[in-house]
Amino acid sequence: MRDRSEKGRLRLWALLATLVLVVGVLAAGCGGDDDGDGEAAGTQADTSTGGGEASGEPIKIGIFSNNEGAFAPFEGQTWGGAMLPLIERGATPVSGDPTKGVENATIAGHPIEIVYGGSDSTPDKAVEEARRLVEQEQVDILIGPLSGSEGIAVANYSKEQPGTTFVNGISGAQDTTLKVRSPNFFRFHNDGTQWTAGLGDYAYNELGWRNVVTIGDDYDFPYSQIAGFVAEFCSIGGNVTKRLWPALGEEDYSSFITQIPEDVDGFFMGVGGTGTVAFVKQYGQLRGNLSDKIMGGIFMTDPVILKELGSQVEGVVTAGMTAGDSQEPAYLEYAEGLGTAYPELEGTASSVFAYGYYTAMQAIAEALEEVDGDLSDDHAAFREALSNLELDAPLGTIKLDENRQAIMDNFLQQIVADNTGDGVPDVKTIKTIPEVDQTFAGFFSPETPSPDRENPACEKAEPPPWTQQGGGG
Amino acid sequence: MRPPALTVERTLWWGPALVILVVLALGPLIFSDYYLSAVITKSFWLGIAAASLIFLAAYVGMVSLGQVALYGIAGFTMANLVAADGGSTIAWNPWVGTLAGILVAVAVGLVFGAISNRSYGIYFLMITLALGVLTYYFFAQVTQLSGFGGVNNVARPGIVSNPVGDPANLFYIALLASAGVYLLIRYVVRSPFGLALQGIRDDPSRMRSLGYNVPLLRMLAFGLGALIASVAGILSVWWNTRISPGSIDLSRTLDVLIIAVIGGLYRLEGAWIGAFFFVALDNWTRGVDIVGSRFNTVIGVIFLAIVLLSPGGLMGIWGSITDFVARRLSPARTAQPPVRPANETGPAPE
Repeated sequence: MRDRSEKGRLRLWALLATLVLVVGVLAAGCGGDDDGDGEAAGTQADTSTGGGEASGEPIKIGIFSNNEGAFAPFEGQTWGGAMLPLIERGATPVSGDPTKGVENATIAGHPIEIVYGGSDSTPDKAVEEARRLVEQEQVDILIGPLSGSEGIAVANYSKEQPGTTFVNGISGAQDTTLKVRSPNFFRFHNDGTQWTAGLGDYAYNELGWRNVVTIGDDYDFPYSQIAGFVAEFCSIGGNVTKRLWPALGEEDYSSFITQIPEDVDGFFMGVGGTGTVAFVKQYGQLRGNLSDKIMGGIFMTDPVILKELGSQVEGVVTAGMTAGDSQEPAYLEYAEGLGTAYPELEGTASSVFAYGYYTAMQAIAEALEEVDGDLSDDHAAFREALSNLELDAPLGTIKLDENRQAIMDNFLQQIVADNTGDGVPDVKTIKTIPEVDQTFAGFFSPETPSPDRENPACEKAEPPPWTQQGGGG
Repeated sequence: MRPPALTVERTLWWGPALVILVVLALGPLIFSDYYLSAVITKSFWLGIAAASLIFLAAYVGMVSLGQVALYGIAGFTMANLVAADGGSTIAWNPWVGTLAGILVAVAVGLVFGAISNRSYGIYFLMITLALGVLTYYFFAQVTQLSGFGGVNNVARPGIVSNPVGDPANLFYIALLASAGVYLLIRYVVRSPFGLALQGIRDDPSRMRSLGYNVPLLRMLAFGLGALIASVAGILSVWWNTRISPGSIDLSRTLDVLIIAVIGGLYRLEGAWIGAFFFVALDNWTRGVDIVGSRFNTVIGVIFLAIVLLSPGGLMGIWGSITDFVARRLSPARTAQPPVRPANETGPAPE
């Protein structure tokens, strides 16, 4: 039985206050469900009042990346990338925080409403968030998600929503487009496999590696990345002796590092997110200098991570879809635009997170302009325009294959000593591999097993055309 | 002869319950498809998971952190036995898969009950936490069962329509399952078995000296908790259409504990109240600019407030209000404490 004498007046008031909070929350929760129009609470940048020339029907674009979990530190970059095409079209950032959206955004005379979303890198949460944005906020177009397993789940979900167009954020699993092949899911950047084009060739022919160990987080994106490296390296005669898979978000890699045999020629490092820095630091403590032993995935050259790692990764070769040292005017303009709009993102233009979300929004904008914002008939004209788009992106043209997956250039890069004086090592592009497609010169198809811990097998095969053995430079 | 104050009290308890039931029965007419599915149906299965925890905590004195693991075992078992992308290639009839999922979860529950039935208090908590972590890593590592990146597009029995396109069906199934679980627990705790469990909760030594087989009863109670949790697991897979190791990781375990505490760890109804509060708050804060990405902070503060101010959870707050109103409406009876379900503030496990 409850002892009433213990209950003071203060406590009663506190209970009442909590109750009021509860009732308020529930009321708001119930109230916001049945009106899917512009007054929903989630609309961050209400543009209907701005821009005199914006006369068309408003278009709602939902954007979500990760605001929790191992990739949360990259949320700002993803949003900065996504906002930039709108800012280039006259919108103004609400604040220095890119996730706050923009004001007065218009595309082809249509006001653009941005709706915020965020997930935590698990597929369950990604689909829940996609459902909220599509079914409750009723966005016309959805950009996202960020992480590999999320992408597969959201692409599957997109089949349930034929009235909404989905454009991938930066999730890089191969299956998302090669296997799922949802008719309304588009990806305007390369997948994890395509990003490794050139690395196996460099390891075998330039570094003389023969026996290699791979290490990567235990989920779809690193499976895809390591699949590309294994396919290329083994096709020209290399041997992968071991594949290690720590869990995503692992913090103690020492037991994995000690499993890397001392006598291997080198290893491919596909640990991403918050794990990259932890891994490299722990490797340094256990095994000493790693710069001549390691090849990196896309994370090593991410500007934020590179700043953390500093000079200990100088000399490491990586590959990816961005080239931070590019002097192309279009790239310089893009990089400057990002730094001007969001000073906090200065120097992060070569991040794949920013670039992936940028190409997504840029493709949407160009396709909408081509059809004058016509989204009638379940976006038929708009999707036709997206499918046939040759996107003139800052680092080269991007076009889509029949699975709505990007075909674009890949850059082989080396991390070199800092020349620019910002204290962050620089990145030097040593080779450009043109127009890498998702089949990776025929290694992968909808029928091949999905990349996983064991697949693809390490086998000698027809070398891809960009390797020395395949006749490439 | 019941005193008049009791009638007021009963009205205050049963009135809102009746209103909620009517609203729920008409749910598909009142709520949008999205809200019905993403908030209310999800609250039902999360509520069932929390109810399995509340049953063990309130009536047996076993605060278990293993309920998410048990619902994961049911979910993964079913997902592997029916047609799906990823996991095993077996494709049984979905009903058979469902039954097998429940049976496997109950069997695992009984085995774990047998292992942990001599542990009390914090030790029991730690053992069940180990069960949760073990299960998570088992499915994360044995990818033959969890299929790299989870088991997707899990086949459902024909009666369970597409949870996205036609959510009313699954809503009613989850509603009936919730009602069934609620009535089952209410029935069990009034049975001789349930009374023995409550005796064990209050004083295991005395029950032992009275001749009860305390470890056996606790094991059976844990098995019953597993049965309830497995229903939540099956519903969650139908609702998500997929399951992955991320569906049962430590943060989901904490979610269920938070739901139970917010709802009221010693009132059965609190399971669903807490689940609805949790899911609706999550859904609502995501749309609010300032708190959009800080749901965990918000729920953490509320959790703290509940623990500090109303250990009985939201149900405890409601209890205080009904007490207050009942006292006001019947001033003659102020001296007499109203009759309440005996276990509302039952003693915590030792």
